[in-house]
Amino acid sequence: MATVKVKGFSVVRDVFGAGVVELEVGPPETVKAALAALLAKFGDPLKKVLVEPDTGEITPLLLVLNGEAISSTLDVDRSVKTGDELTLIFPIGGG
Amino acid sequence: MKNGFKYGGYKGQLLRVNLSKNAVTKEPLREDWARDFVGGAGYSARLLYDEIPGRVDALGPQNKLFFMTGPVNGTMIPAASRSTACAKSPLTGSLFHSIFGGYWGPELKFAGYDGLIVEGKADKPVYLWIDDDQVEIRSAEHLWGKNPFKAQEIIRQEIGDENIRIATIGEAGKNGMPYAIILLDIRAAGRGGMGAVMGSKNLKAIAVRGTGSVSVPNMLRVYNTTLRLNQIAATNPAVKGLSEYGTPRNVLSMNAAGILPTRNWQTEMFKGADGISGETMKEQVVKGHRACFACSINCTKYSVVPSGKYKSIINGPDYETVYGFGSICEVDDIRAICKVDEVCDEYGIDLIQASMSVAWAMECYEKGIFTKKDTGGLDLAWGNADAMIHLTEMIGKREGLGALLAKGTRDAAKIVGKGSERFVISNKGVDGPGHSCRPWPGTAVGYATGPRGGSHHDIRPTLEKSGVVDRTVLEGKGAMASEVNHWLILADSAVVCHLGEPIWGPAKINDNLIDALNAVTGWNLDYEQAHKIAERQWNMIRCFAAREGFTRNDDTLPIRFMEEPVPEGPMKGSLISKETLEGLKDQYYDYRGWDKKTGNPSKAKLAELGLEFAAKDIC
Repeated sequence: MATVKVKGFSVVRDVFGAGVVELEVGPPETVKAALAALLAKFGDPLKKVLVEPDTGEITPLLLVLNGEAISSTLDVDRSVKTGDELTLIFPIGGG
Repeated sequence: MKNGFKYGGYKGQLLRVNLSKNAVTKEPLREDWARDFVGGAGYSARLLYDEIPGRVDALGPQNKLFFMTGPVNGTMIPAASRSTACAKSPLTGSLFHSIFGGYWGPELKFAGYDGLIVEGKADKPVYLWIDDDQVEIRSAEHLWGKNPFKAQEIIRQEIGDENIRIATIGEAGKNGMPYAIILLDIRAAGRGGMGAVMGSKNLKAIAVRGTGSVSVPNMLRVYNTTLRLNQIAATNPAVKGLSEYGTPRNVLSMNAAGILPTRNWQTEMFKGADGISGETMKEQVVKGHRACFACSINCTKYSVVPSGKYKSIINGPDYETVYGFGSICEVDDIRAICKVDEVCDEYGIDLIQASMSVAWAMECYEKGIFTKKDTGGLDLAWGNADAMIHLTEMIGKREGLGALLAKGTRDAAKIVGKGSERFVISNKGVDGPGHSCRPWPGTAVGYATGPRGGSHHDIRPTLEKSGVVDRTVLEGKGAMASEVNHWLILADSAVVCHLGEPIWGPAKINDNLIDALNAVTGWNLDYEQAHKIAERQWNMIRCFAAREGFTRNDDTLPIRFMEEPVPEGPMKGSLISKETLEGLKDQYYDYRGWDKKTGNPSKAKLAELGLEFAAKDIC
């Protein structure tokens, strides 16, 4: 079991109720497991802002793991450990 | 259709106003061009290729300004309020389509026109009053020095109708500043200097009132398509937060990812990001929301700073304003950004270009190229919000250093020299938007080859940023950029909004865009046919540029992006070297069937797309 800090912004932060939340990630302690644990913890309100209704999957995201940019699609098997910080970079459009 | 035009969604008619001859005529929309180029940017490119001779003065009477809608505009389809202002740009020297939202475009259709061609030059300042089929050219001498909002107010009083829609220019357009905007009610055709082209014709404003409607062949189909697209807009994660926070919802995310351009792109992380975030904006200044015609996304904010030196009332700020006058100038006060947004609108100048000009001057000041003697006593230290606002006013008035900056950073640096060229963040004269490309090779080649220069609407970073496409791999990025080009140009011809990216894209032309077009027009386009239209449109625009003398060498990036790696943060070390860029360009031209030496479409490609007529000009 790893305890990971997760950061989010705008509507993700609104669901978290805080800028940073602590998350318990069970084995296998990976990015994929962390995202699944996050959805389990925050339920439908988070699914509404992160999950694509068509696919039922989390929309592809840029993530920052301990200061390193990684991808929610290409790097899901990266391991996480206690003390790690995972930041969700919300899908970004222009304007 | 009821109006006799073969396809639904169209009015079947263009309005042509020749200001030299004081003449107004109406002419049919060409059915073959509607089918081959759709509308908006595509139809504009085809028409203006024919009507603007090569290498004319962008601010001379031979240039033409073409406002064009698309078949989807004015229907209930969501995220489809947009229209185009298109002309040869005084900033780039090539064809430019500046896209705007709001209500003006649909109103033009309700008045009975798919588009408006403005040509020639009036003897004295005038404005147009389009009241359904009645069109008047009226004197605007009393409006000529007025800011856009004041001019709109006077015109509404004169006509006695609060509901008319009005396009206006400000002082910048009047003076031919190459990055002058056209303000359409509260939205802007902001890029490429379309306001200067309008001003060069002595045209202050275009007021429109339309009482008609847009006919479609099968209302139930359009209704069902609308319901489905609205459902996507309501539930897709990439659209979430736009209503709540506007486009500045991006600020903190981008900063955390190390892609928030800062200090004129010297770095991409800003310590003061909290002060300019969507969250802070919502808490401190936002008082309401503004939506464009029939749009459920609702991204524009209405903001008020009630008192103090930054007292202001604006529609915005959008992300690009927050980036340009915030992190790029290292200003961390959202109220100051509201104030400078108001200043830009009052003078009628492009916020991105103005902010990048200020940032360029700040860097010249930092590096000792400018002193207080050059700045008129202003302390242009990074983060000096008051100096930033004051210098922006000087740009609007063309006073002192402002007169130099009013030329655009590329031309200003040519005059100043002393290495200041390295601080220019510009493609083809258009200063860059707030979306990095140093970590994303596909985005980089998209910026470099884009017909509008530094535009995040000729390419989108979404695929590489989200990890749908691996950003570390160079192979395939020419193809990726090309297919993103295609959905963007087809969207700009329908005309639908790029903020609906998850609805219409984001990797290639998708079924929703084709379905929206088919539903309103009665066409039965499949992907291959839609793709061919988009490719034809993109090549048509490229032909215009080639005829103006643009070559492969013009497809480049700012020096900083090619020589200075991102210095810190998650994207530390990211860079698109000159050598990498040239390889990406080869990929891009190959994929497109363009000549790698010149960067021009080949004869075979032109023939394939039905553009053989351009071969004599460019091959």
